[in-house]
Amino acid sequence: MKSIRIYLLLALIATITLVNFVSLLHGYQASMEKAQNLFDARLESTARLIASANSAQVADQNIAEQQTPNTYFQIWGSGGQQLLTRSRNAPDEIIGQLDEGFHEVNHASYRWRNYVYQDRHLNRWVVVAERIDIRYSLAEEVVLESLLPIVMAIPLSALIIWLAVGVGLKPLSVLAQQIRHKKVDDLSPIKMERVPKELTTVVNNTNALLIRLHDAFSREQRFSADAAHELRTPISVLKVHLHNLKQRFGDTDEDIALLKTGVERMGHLIEQILALYRTSPDQAAVKFEDIDLTKLVQSVVARDFEQFERKQQRIELDGEKILIKGNQFALETLVQNLLSNASKYTPEHGDIYVSISSKLGEALLQIEDSGPGIPTDMHERVFERFYRLHGDQHASDIIGCGLGLTIVKDIAAMHQAEIELGTSRFKQGLRVSVRFRLEEKK
Amino acid sequence: MLLNAVIITLREVLEASLIISVFLALSQLLERKLSWLLLAMFVGAVGGFVYGQNLGAVSMAWDGMGQELVNAGLHLLIFLSLLVFMTSVPHQHKKRWRIVTLIATITAVVVAITREGSEIILYLSGAMSIPNMLLPVLIGSIVGAGIGISVGIYFYYLLINMRLKYGMWLGYLFLLLVAGSMISQAVEFLIQADFIHAGKPLWDSSNLISERSVIGQLLYALVGYEATPAPIQVVAYVSSIAIIAVATVISYQFRTPPHDD
Repeated sequence: MKSIRIYLLLALIATITLVNFVSLLHGYQASMEKAQNLFDARLESTARLIASANSAQVADQNIAEQQTPNTYFQIWGSGGQQLLTRSRNAPDEIIGQLDEGFHEVNHASYRWRNYVYQDRHLNRWVVVAERIDIRYSLAEEVVLESLLPIVMAIPLSALIIWLAVGVGLKPLSVLAQQIRHKKVDDLSPIKMERVPKELTTVVNNTNALLIRLHDAFSREQRFSADAAHELRTPISVLKVHLHNLKQRFGDTDEDIALLKTGVERMGHLIEQILALYRTSPDQAAVKFEDIDLTKLVQSVVARDFEQFERKQQRIELDGEKILIKGNQFALETLVQNLLSNASKYTPEHGDIYVSISSKLGEALLQIEDSGPGIPTDMHERVFERFYRLHGDQHASDIIGCGLGLTIVKDIAAMHQAEIELGTSRFKQGLRVSVRFRLEEKK
Repeated sequence: MLLNAVIITLREVLEASLIISVFLALSQLLERKLSWLLLAMFVGAVGGFVYGQNLGAVSMAWDGMGQELVNAGLHLLIFLSLLVFMTSVPHQHKKRWRIVTLIATITAVVVAITREGSEIILYLSGAMSIPNMLLPVLIGSIVGAGIGISVGIYFYYLLINMRLKYGMWLGYLFLLLVAGSMISQAVEFLIQADFIHAGKPLWDSSNLISERSVIGQLLYALVGYEATPAPIQVVAYVSSIAIIAVATVISYQFRTPPHDD
């Protein structure tokens, strides 16, 4: 069932049509029968009237002129042996039989209904006949006048039903509209005035579900934030002890180098979990402001320039001033993660190209590296939480936890931006394109 | 006159509306687009109008047997479309079979509406040329069409609101009976054209259920009811149903595991 409104309209109209039209047919048949009975009664009284008005017992050569072509009469005398008089259009012979009562006969290419009246007093027979088709047409004309409004009422009923069903279904469309217009981060209960009985369960259960969802989200966020925050301190202490160990045993100790990598990995993971929490699309109350995307990218490149310098990578930035609506911290995290990935996977002396442009109401941020790239069939999976390309077989010198691109995806969703992975302009490598919608100038 | 108009319009509209409602419901149950069916209905209506307007010329063809032969051909075409439809449905996971099903559906709907529509056009244009007949014929046609379309709407919603499996089987059963009715009517036209000898009617149930009653019309549209069928009609009816039923069962037996090609 595609639409309740159309279903109700069609089902109700079909029911009204079926019931009305079947009763119309019965009414038509009954009325026609009644009309025929009336015509018969009239025919009988006409025959009696003619018999009483005309008492001739010998043949009259004058043929009565005052008859309509749809009816005729005959008066037979001598027990039906002699035609005493007749109307002009009447035959001069007996059509059918002279039995008292109603009969149907054929005359002059038409079917007639006659009434034979036996005038016992004068031993005569009076025959009065009417054309059946004319009787039928007259009766039908009268009956149809009464049926026409029933037929005409069907389209009117359809219109009224359409409007009534629309009004009846309004609470449902109001509810649907409320749910459709709910922001992704809005887990507040649905507020509806005068909830109809049929929707009470739906609204109550949906609201209960939203409350449970809100509580579950809050618990998850609190746990992630608290855990990451509480872990920061011991990590910092570990780093201090590590520094002391390096001072004592020197940089060349293999165990210390492994310990350092492990601590850095753990520190990175905790920072990313914190970033994930802060940039989740479900995170309420994010402040959006006008941000110059190129300036923001420049500042992140300048801040993290040390990572490119360490690997002697060339980074080129090409962009113009483009203002987008966004959250400063979240966008910085997005650019930082993409640049960090580009640097991590680009070999030493490799190239990184960053461009910011605008076209057709979109701001396009592209970061291209000269690393190994990502196979096309993995483009979807790399955005999953804790998923890393090649899993544990990853080059051990690249620190990562599989959350970077998840965070990027979340931030993009928060800004209603689209991410696309592709091939970079270099011999090999990955190109990440993020398309932000630009607000229309008023 | 009104009753004649009701009976003639109801007979044609009921048959077409039941066929359309079953195809609409089955298309929805098979998750197919309905736009093709709507287009087929429109083409069928245009075809019915054109055929109805030219029935005079068609009747004169083949020594005055044109109308009977063309009508027998159209009924045979609907039967073949139903045969193809029912045997192609079990292979819906293959694209080329889906196209075959779609073509069979469109053909059946276009031909059914053309055939039934032409009868209505022929009757209306004939009846309305008689003085004072406009109102009774018009009201009678509206009443007949209204009842026919209403039953079609009920049947459609009955099928789509049933559980998928039962809806499919009821739709299948109806198409099976329609297929038998199509062949029975084709044979009737060939009898009228003196191509086949009719013989004595096998039975006469007109006292029990008159072909002119609403129930008689409903049964005619649903199962091809005839009050006085010729023996050859009954044989053709039963054989055609058996052919489609066996072909459908064989088609189900030979369906390949689902994979898209």
